[in-house]
Amino acid sequence: MATPKMVFVDTSLCTGCRACSVACKAWNELPPEKTQLITSFQTQKDYTYDTWTYISFHEKYENGKMDWFMFKHQCYHCEDPSCMKACPSEAIYKTDSGYTLIDHEKCIGCGYCATNCPWGVPMVNPQLQKSFKCTGCIDRVENGMEPACVATCQPGALSFGEKADMQKLAKERLAEVKKTYPKAQLYGDNIMGGTTYLYLLLDEPKVYGVPAKPATPISLTLWKDLVHPLGGIAVGAAALAITGGVLANFARGNYRKKAEDNDDINAGQ
Amino acid sequence: MSPSFGRGAMTNSWQDMQNSECFLIAGSNCAEAHPIAMKWIHRAKAKGAKIIVVDPVFTRTASKADIFAQIRPGTDIAYLGAIIKYIIDEKLYDEFFVLNFTNALLKINKDFKFEDGLFSGFDEATKKYNYSTWAYQLDENNTPIKADSLDDPDCVFQKIKEHYSRYTLEVAEQISGIPADHIKLIADTFAAAKPGNILYALGMTQHTTGVQGIRCYAIIQLLLGNVGKAGAGIQALRGEPNVQGSTDMANLNANLPGYLPYPTNAQVTLHDYAVSFGSVQHKPLVALLKAWFGKNATAANDYGYGWLPKNDPTNMPIQPQFFNWMEKGQFKMLFNFGSNSSVSIPDRKMVAKGLSCLEMLVVADIFNIETSRFWEEEGLNPKEIQTEVIFLPAAFVYEKAGTMTNSSRLIQWKDEALKPLNDCLPDLDILDRIFKRMRELYAGSNDPKDAAILNANWDYGEHADPFLVLNELNGYNDNTGQLTSSLAEYLNAPIGTVSTGCWIYAGVTPPGKNLADRRDSSDPTGLGLNNEYAFAWPGNIRVLYNRASCDANGKPIDPNRELIWWDSVQGVWTGNDGPDVIDKTKGPDTPEGKQAFRMNPEGVGRLFTASYTSGVSSSPVPVDSIAAIPVRGAGMVVDGPMPEFYEPIESPTTNILNPNVPTNPMAKIVSTEFGDPKDYPYVLTTYTICEHFCAGGITRNIPWLNEIMPEPFIEISKNLGKKIGVKEGDFVEVSSIRGKLKVRALVTDRIQTLKINGEDAETVGMPWSWGFASLNPGPSANNVTMNACDPGAGTPEYKCCLVNVRRA
Repeated sequence: MATPKMVFVDTSLCTGCRACSVACKAWNELPPEKTQLITSFQTQKDYTYDTWTYISFHEKYENGKMDWFMFKHQCYHCEDPSCMKACPSEAIYKTDSGYTLIDHEKCIGCGYCATNCPWGVPMVNPQLQKSFKCTGCIDRVENGMEPACVATCQPGALSFGEKADMQKLAKERLAEVKKTYPKAQLYGDNIMGGTTYLYLLLDEPKVYGVPAKPATPISLTLWKDLVHPLGGIAVGAAALAITGGVLANFARGNYRKKAEDNDDINAGQ
Repeated sequence: MSPSFGRGAMTNSWQDMQNSECFLIAGSNCAEAHPIAMKWIHRAKAKGAKIIVVDPVFTRTASKADIFAQIRPGTDIAYLGAIIKYIIDEKLYDEFFVLNFTNALLKINKDFKFEDGLFSGFDEATKKYNYSTWAYQLDENNTPIKADSLDDPDCVFQKIKEHYSRYTLEVAEQISGIPADHIKLIADTFAAAKPGNILYALGMTQHTTGVQGIRCYAIIQLLLGNVGKAGAGIQALRGEPNVQGSTDMANLNANLPGYLPYPTNAQVTLHDYAVSFGSVQHKPLVALLKAWFGKNATAANDYGYGWLPKNDPTNMPIQPQFFNWMEKGQFKMLFNFGSNSSVSIPDRKMVAKGLSCLEMLVVADIFNIETSRFWEEEGLNPKEIQTEVIFLPAAFVYEKAGTMTNSSRLIQWKDEALKPLNDCLPDLDILDRIFKRMRELYAGSNDPKDAAILNANWDYGEHADPFLVLNELNGYNDNTGQLTSSLAEYLNAPIGTVSTGCWIYAGVTPPGKNLADRRDSSDPTGLGLNNEYAFAWPGNIRVLYNRASCDANGKPIDPNRELIWWDSVQGVWTGNDGPDVIDKTKGPDTPEGKQAFRMNPEGVGRLFTASYTSGVSSSPVPVDSIAAIPVRGAGMVVDGPMPEFYEPIESPTTNILNPNVPTNPMAKIVSTEFGDPKDYPYVLTTYTICEHFCAGGITRNIPWLNEIMPEPFIEISKNLGKKIGVKEGDFVEVSSIRGKLKVRALVTDRIQTLKINGEDAETVGMPWSWGFASLNPGPSANNVTMNACDPGAGTPEYKCCLVNVRRA
């Protein structure tokens, strides 16, 4: 049985070169997409079914001190993934090594995974009617290699290894970085059951544009853990309201607010 | 660096950066332009090293800095001069190092002066300096006279102290925009954390005062004792994987391979050359001529010296000047290999005009780049252009074998990984075919100018084999009939009995081996010396001038970073690195064993680049039948023995230090139009970003790279954005007196409005990697940049010109 693995994303060492994004596309044979400068040096706006990892740039100028934070986005491979819970066709599963994967044989492209992921990671390709996201390079990892993004990272911001080793490294780095960045914190260790991609942030999650306390939507929890197990017996006003909540999530795209913010910038062009 | 230390190369290596306690990264954006540097810098940082970044823009490198200072482009010498003054005033210098390994004590000619912006010896008519007063006081043996103490008013140390006395922290703040207390913080931090390492790249060289800026670094590092030690030094981060290799092979027009002076028309015979430059240059020149002309080079015919064309010093255009000279009809044909001049040379109009005047332009490249399509550009009329353009499809880097020499002087062999596509050929094969065909055409000619081609030793095989070329660079020994096995074997062989195509490469391919092909990355010392990985010139030394890491007894000063030491039992210099000494058997108390800078005629590092030709050779050069000519000239910096601050050629303000000589009096001015700050109030600086490489000829044709950086842009401050009514994402027109372009604006806090001489000053910044061709076309920054060059290096001032920015 494979042991739990982890990728440690040390944002204090990330230089935003985006080699990870290119390496991901090269290994996974994903096509380039048309982009433009959005804000700061950011050109990839969000996850797409062909962009499984990208860097966002965050500028902060306070009291004469400039900070330029970079954040690598990809699937967090949660221990308790809401996408898996939401998937009606049981296409999403966890591996022993800690990865959350989509079985494309079973995926029907309904998009429930996308709607219910607190970061909006999975994306459905409408032509193929399948959902896509970072695979953690399971095909490399199971063959003794590092994920493509980790292997290419020159500044040493990405580390891959046994979960316990990475957690130890993360704690050591946090203690070091806190000396200069008092708000530094780990991100991922106590959310969504713990994530397989663990981050060291120099500031609060909101500075990086990610939710501080991502959680499985309540509507999904109620539906899957309460209503659904009753086998439809409790059909009534309450159940309808919950279903409505799930659908509303989908329509509004609660977790895609970040993308909408970016649209405002684009509107100015 | 060459006039300061004796060699114009990065002193340490990439891996060595992990040994540093402090970095001053100024004139380099290594996180973007040299991402591999960050791997080693971050390792040092994890051990507690401090990172200081000085840049006109808060870059991705700056995002990893402990201290960042925003500087007005082109004013480095002002704040560095203030740091020199501060180090001296506060006695932060390393006295042992200064006394033993620099020329601080040597006395300077009493007629030497600096007055009203000029050093003594300036000729107004020729705009050149006569070096006669920039000299030492000499004794009857032609040896510089040493002062008893650093307090002697004639000594170099006092000259430096006096020269920089004008550079107070406050003056530096007025000029550079860096607050005085911030300059002090930088100086205190860098002087306290040793070994300290300085990294620079084109941000420091692309100025009309580029060489002098780097001279400031040399002075600082010599004062602090930060040369010749692990984790110390000055790292010139080279812009392309093989730039060091191409300089080694003499892409500078005053050099021959191995940094030999190129003969001028004053040196008609080989004897003239030997008299001018001494045996120390004479011997490698003979070895070079033997490599080039093989059996045709004999003692009787001066080894074919007469076949070498000689330089006319009054008629030596540097690359940025070529295009002007094409217009004047001086050049009829251009071979353009590995360069995208239409994007990379400043002042684009001038380039296009020059290329339009050629009879033939040959471009070898992997893509049909802007230069090979220059006539297609908007505004040019192809009907009026008679230039015949020939495009030769070249092989890509992975499709050819050979070596690349990186910034660490590391000569690395690589094999061909793939066969070139279709008719594409490696550069070597292209040149091999052209040469062989040319030689056929010249067959039977008695014209003296054809003799070099007819007599050349061209034996790289039917299909040119790059390994045979490397063997030629390594050289052969006539006595053994074999490849020379080491640098020492070359140095000890009598003149005329060895050949080498580049003497510093001697030892790279001893018989039966290719040391450049070694891939053993073991590192027993943990210092990143990796001695068995490839081959570093000279003689596989990884840290240059490493004698300076030892004390007077030859013992390593830093017990945690031991490079070399004197083994008194064996009577030899030995260590973890190859000892950079004249003679390994000469102990630390001998005149030879004391020298840390053996390539300088004084044997010491040069705080003041005095004019000096030693009477006694500092390297023993065995001679055959001819008597040794024991002279060795010091490398000179043409525009002053100590760096002085001058404003950029296009400057928004006055020079408060030198009101009567505001700009470098020796700058080579090539552009003809210069903007007035009233019309063009903002300073534009140009740079590359990590997503696109140099002129972008390759990377703008790689879709994944275009995805992560799809377009050029200009970065402006929020104040400027407000002033001109531009918000992030808007398009703006950027114009200089030479041209204009339209790009998207990034309005950012990463550039702040500076206070310069009491007035607000705006810097704007733009990457220069775009052109009209490729999958990702965009306007080129050289529509607006200016062509004026450093008088010594010939590097154009891409880093500052005046522009206006308005809403498009």
